[in-house]
Amino acid sequence: MIRLCNIYKSLGDFKLKNINLTIEDNEYFVILGPTGTGKTVILEVIAGMYKPDHGEVWLNERNVTEEYPESRHIGFVYQDYMLFPHLNVEENILFALKLKKTPAKIMKEKLERMATLLNINHLLQRYPATLSGGEQQRTAIARALVAEPDVLLLDEPLSALDPRSKEVFQQELKQIHRQIKTTTIHITHDFNEALVLADRMGIMCNGEIVQVGSPEDVFHKPCSQFVATFVGMENIFNGIISDESDARQVRIGPVQLRVASNLLGKVRVAIRSEDIIIAEDKLSSSAQNILPASITEIVPRGPFFKLFLDAGIPLVALVTRQAIDEMRLEPGKNVWAVFKTAAVHVF
Amino acid sequence: MKLYASLGANNKLAVRNRLFQALVVSVILILFAFMFSALANIVWKGLAGLLHTITSKEIQFAIRLSLFTSFTSTLICVVFAIPVAYGLERFNFPGRRFINVILDIPLSLPPLVSGVALLLLFGTTSFGQALAAHGLRFIFSVNGIILAQFFIITPYMVRVLKSTIADINPRLEFVARTLGSSQWQAFYKVTLPLAKNGIIAGLVISWSRAIGEFGCALMVAGATRMVTETLPVALYLNMSIGDLEMAMASATCLIVISLFSLFIFEMLGGKQSLVSRIT
Repeated sequence: MIRLCNIYKSLGDFKLKNINLTIEDNEYFVILGPTGTGKTVILEVIAGMYKPDHGEVWLNERNVTEEYPESRHIGFVYQDYMLFPHLNVEENILFALKLKKTPAKIMKEKLERMATLLNINHLLQRYPATLSGGEQQRTAIARALVAEPDVLLLDEPLSALDPRSKEVFQQELKQIHRQIKTTTIHITHDFNEALVLADRMGIMCNGEIVQVGSPEDVFHKPCSQFVATFVGMENIFNGIISDESDARQVRIGPVQLRVASNLLGKVRVAIRSEDIIIAEDKLSSSAQNILPASITEIVPRGPFFKLFLDAGIPLVALVTRQAIDEMRLEPGKNVWAVFKTAAVHVF
Repeated sequence: MKLYASLGANNKLAVRNRLFQALVVSVILILFAFMFSALANIVWKGLAGLLHTITSKEIQFAIRLSLFTSFTSTLICVVFAIPVAYGLERFNFPGRRFINVILDIPLSLPPLVSGVALLLLFGTTSFGQALAAHGLRFIFSVNGIILAQFFIITPYMVRVLKSTIADINPRLEFVARTLGSSQWQAFYKVTLPLAKNGIIAGLVISWSRAIGEFGCALMVAGATRMVTETLPVALYLNMSIGDLEMAMASATCLIVISLFSLFIFEMLGGKQSLVSRIT
């Protein structure tokens, strides 16, 4: 278990502010945040490269704030791997075991196990400079895991890989974690990575952890505009909830939306673009929010199309190519934008 | 018509460009001719006499003394320079910048001034006298040559090593420490092997500086024939009594040593950046 209590650290332009975080045993925890918000510094504080200006680091019920990195039993994998360039892959992996003067037979067994786990058996005699990014990444992870650390820290482990190997390696990371179950903190700026890998995640912004929860929680119930924008919420508005009866409504400019929230007064409202359904006719459904809208623009986005709508407020909806063809959607056409009360997030 | 006009303009441009290129190349050639003829002349004349003079006791003494003092001073220098460069580059402590500045001063100081400084420190202070009383005499002795060489070359070595160590990512050592190494082990197993080329380059540069050191050693150790007579001193002494053959033999030895160290330096990957940083 890792516990960070009240951590403050300023380091050049980076600042960590009041970090409080508990990561359970065997958990895969992802810290998500834009580049340059001090995510790497958190890992370096946990691993002991920097002492926090204030606060404590606890590992497995032991206060390690004053301990040296070599006594913390932490595996650290940097974004740019930091393999020892003067050692080949095998020597890199065995670095920790040789320091501990492990018997040759045990070393050989562990090396084989790690190399198989990470699929780098054929690379053992090569030097880091001759390896691809993905191969270096595997070596760096093997080197960290062979020492059987209590905690594995991964600093943007996938960001340097091309999209295809990224997807493959993402799955492998998940497999590896299932097998060896080492408590892991993984840092990334890519929400999809977090979605696939995280048991829980924390969102970081300007040196602070602003939200912690399961990926579903964070995705569906962002607690602030920053989190909402960061996880890809397109439709964010200022609104007012005035005290009314049971059927609560939020007013956004000329539009009233049904919401389920206890908040009152000025609020922020967010709706995921994929939660908005486009209909040609005013259909009757369980969805409580039905707005007349006209299409202003259609923009391709990956396998989908982004529909910019004018419904009194600007809305963005995500539809498939098929939907566009079948409904003959085009700029200027009048449609209905439909979404459930539960899709309107208020914070 | 238009085509011809543009062709004419193009020709004009071609002429101008050619002129510019010719100018640059001729400046290069002038400088090269100047340097090369100076060196070739002395080597040519020196080599002729070298076979004859190399058997002379005096030149043999000078070569032996130069090799002994330069190797000794370089060795002592590296023992100091590695920890100093490492500490100045990696540790943060009060006064670090000030120490950096002081260590750089001998680089820009005329060697004669350094020599006087050493002469005064070891000759006139109680510190120097205490050392002399315990048998460590520097003034007018071979020890003085080594001291002078050490004083002159160590700042160079520190500079080369600092830039070498600065190029090694400190995170490598940090990763080594998360894998269980102590600070010393991380230095010894990671940073030191990675600094190998820089250390060799620094050794070669410092050694060739040491062997050519004249002004500072002259002040501290004097120029006594067959006692403190290194190759540069032999050159100076023989020049002053008009023995051109002996003088040029010493000069040739020094040029050969310079060429040799330059060659090794280039072999270590040209180290363009290293050279530019220390000069």
